[in-house]
Amino acid sequence: MTDKTANKPEKKPRRRMDRRQFVQTIVSLGIAGTVVSFLSLLMSLLPSAGAGEEEGEVDNVFKYGPEKGTWYSDKSGTDVKLEDFDQVGKGAGVLWRGRFPAIVIRVDESKLQGATATSGLVAFAASCTHLCCISTWRLDRPNEDVLFCRCHDGAFDPYNVVRDVMLNGAEYSGAKVIAGPPPRAAPIIPIEITDGKVAGAAKDIGLYDYCE
Amino acid sequence: MSSRTKRLYDWLDKRFNISPLIAEAQRSLNFALPAIHTRQNRSKIFWFGYPFYYAGSIVAFLAILQGITGLLLAFNYVPSAIGDPGTPTQAYTSVQNIMRSIPLGALIRGIHQWGANLLVAALVIHAFWAFFRSPYRVGREISWLLGAVSLGLALAYSFSGYLLPWDQLGYWAATISVQIMRSIPVLGDLIARILLGGTTLSPVTLVRMYFYHVSLLPVVAIVLVGAHIVLVMLQGVSEPEEVWRPEKTGQTSGQKQAGPLFGPFLPHQITPVLILSLVTLGIVLLLGAYAAQMPGDPANRFLTPQFIAPEWYFLWAYGLLKWVGWVYEVVRFVPPATVFGIDLLSAKVVGILVAATMFLVLVLMPVLDRGDEVRVLRRPLKTAIGVWAIGLLSTLTLYALNEILSSYLSIPIGTMNLLLGSIVIFVPLAVAAPFYMILHRHAAKASAKEA
Repeated sequence: MTDKTANKPEKKPRRRMDRRQFVQTIVSLGIAGTVVSFLSLLMSLLPSAGAGEEEGEVDNVFKYGPEKGTWYSDKSGTDVKLEDFDQVGKGAGVLWRGRFPAIVIRVDESKLQGATATSGLVAFAASCTHLCCISTWRLDRPNEDVLFCRCHDGAFDPYNVVRDVMLNGAEYSGAKVIAGPPPRAAPIIPIEITDGKVAGAAKDIGLYDYCE
Repeated sequence: MSSRTKRLYDWLDKRFNISPLIAEAQRSLNFALPAIHTRQNRSKIFWFGYPFYYAGSIVAFLAILQGITGLLLAFNYVPSAIGDPGTPTQAYTSVQNIMRSIPLGALIRGIHQWGANLLVAALVIHAFWAFFRSPYRVGREISWLLGAVSLGLALAYSFSGYLLPWDQLGYWAATISVQIMRSIPVLGDLIARILLGGTTLSPVTLVRMYFYHVSLLPVVAIVLVGAHIVLVMLQGVSEPEEVWRPEKTGQTSGQKQAGPLFGPFLPHQITPVLILSLVTLGIVLLLGAYAAQMPGDPANRFLTPQFIAPEWYFLWAYGLLKWVGWVYEVVRFVPPATVFGIDLLSAKVVGILVAATMFLVLVLMPVLDRGDEVRVLRRPLKTAIGVWAIGLLSTLTLYALNEILSSYLSIPIGTMNLLLGSIVIFVPLAVAAPFYMILHRHAAKASAKEA
């Protein structure tokens, strides 16, 4: 070892690349380039950007949801009507724009804080802000006025509407989280009533697709 | 060899040059495994350790069984989830069809279902057994790493398989997992998009899951698990404790010798493997024949079923999510810890971090634990940590069942949560702490005696 370093030969003149080295370099570069360019094909694993977007006119009227064993079970899929909500505390799981599960409730307007009811009704997005299970009204907790999420026991108070910030930074009003892990309030959906049919009237639809 | 066999052997050897391979195989098989069941070693540890020692071979046997039944199921399954929410899709009806009208279909699917459950059970035993027996000393780290990754692989298998019938339980279990995945800091959304072809479950997701389940994962599994087994064959199973008890066996500490401890694979080792495999097969056949489950209601993305729970081996994670939520509810104070828009203390991020840490600790065991001592009773701290981990996983599993227990025992949910929540905190500690103290005293005494 010491011998070698001691007898280190004087600096060799810089040799030009010989043919073997040239071929080796070109082939390795070629292989590396091919591999990299094939890796770019992995882009195909990402779904196209436009997938899942709505097209054309969408019906804003709420439709009754598919929950079995409820007062609205036999109306599943039909328009939600104001006259069906004939007493305070009556509520239904509904579907809005064919995409968003929601809950419409007839509330005691004097107790409602932070929002105003439309003809006594309020609506909230039913997708739990925790892990997107669908919240229910008076099915799992029949005696409590909460939107209850079955997956991790989250609960939202529809009488206490607070301001909150969505993951994408949008500010909104929603039912306050009073139990469990949900990180954000359940967004309120403004209501519009035409010809006795109950419809959602939100302008910013993007607020509600936090589960997509 | 009879002359006919010899002629066949020669015929093959001339064409495929098999004799070097056979010689090599014989060599490694004959010296591979320690014969813990030979007469010299029939200590009390033998009866206790026997099934645990061979848990890995049960996993291998069940994996082969899953391969066979899965292949048969694939002939009749249609991976299509196109249809309105709540109506039976082709995937759903094809599973129903397998259960109802395909000859022996119900049995095959029952075996596949229960085989998966037992496989994970055997794998958990195998992993914990390995954890306690510290088989990852120098030379065996790769084996250990491959094993740890294979554990993740088994969970990926079950995750993708659970969704295939496209029924309510599978759908919502997958939805929750996907939303948890999405809350992984920074990369979550991208991972979800790549794995699922979107951020919610769709027909594309089903096809991707099916592809993973029947095509991608098997290839990965064969390579990784194959390497794991080959390495065990080459290096030998990690020696049982007796090797480190020179006073009992008369051998030098820590040395691997081809002495009486090490019996040849054929026939000594294969015998317990075959016995246990047959017992396992019997259990799987019974369960598959009498306890095969039909798929539940067809998946409906607008309706979460009332009692929703993941498979039993994911219950601890489910319990962890609920438990962290309960702690925050009781403490009523969560310090703000938002970094780059990620709430680090939200239940799901905490859950992910805890699970990731556990997996990382498992993978890094060869680095974290470099001592020479492998005797379980001489490692008070490590053994106590292992006991604590088992306690924590079991109590979290119990916590996951709070709703069901509450309605079954008719205890109010608040009381139930308080009870189970405290159990999660105190029971693992209460079990592990005395364990540590007793083992610590034992180890000190024993080493004093040896000195």
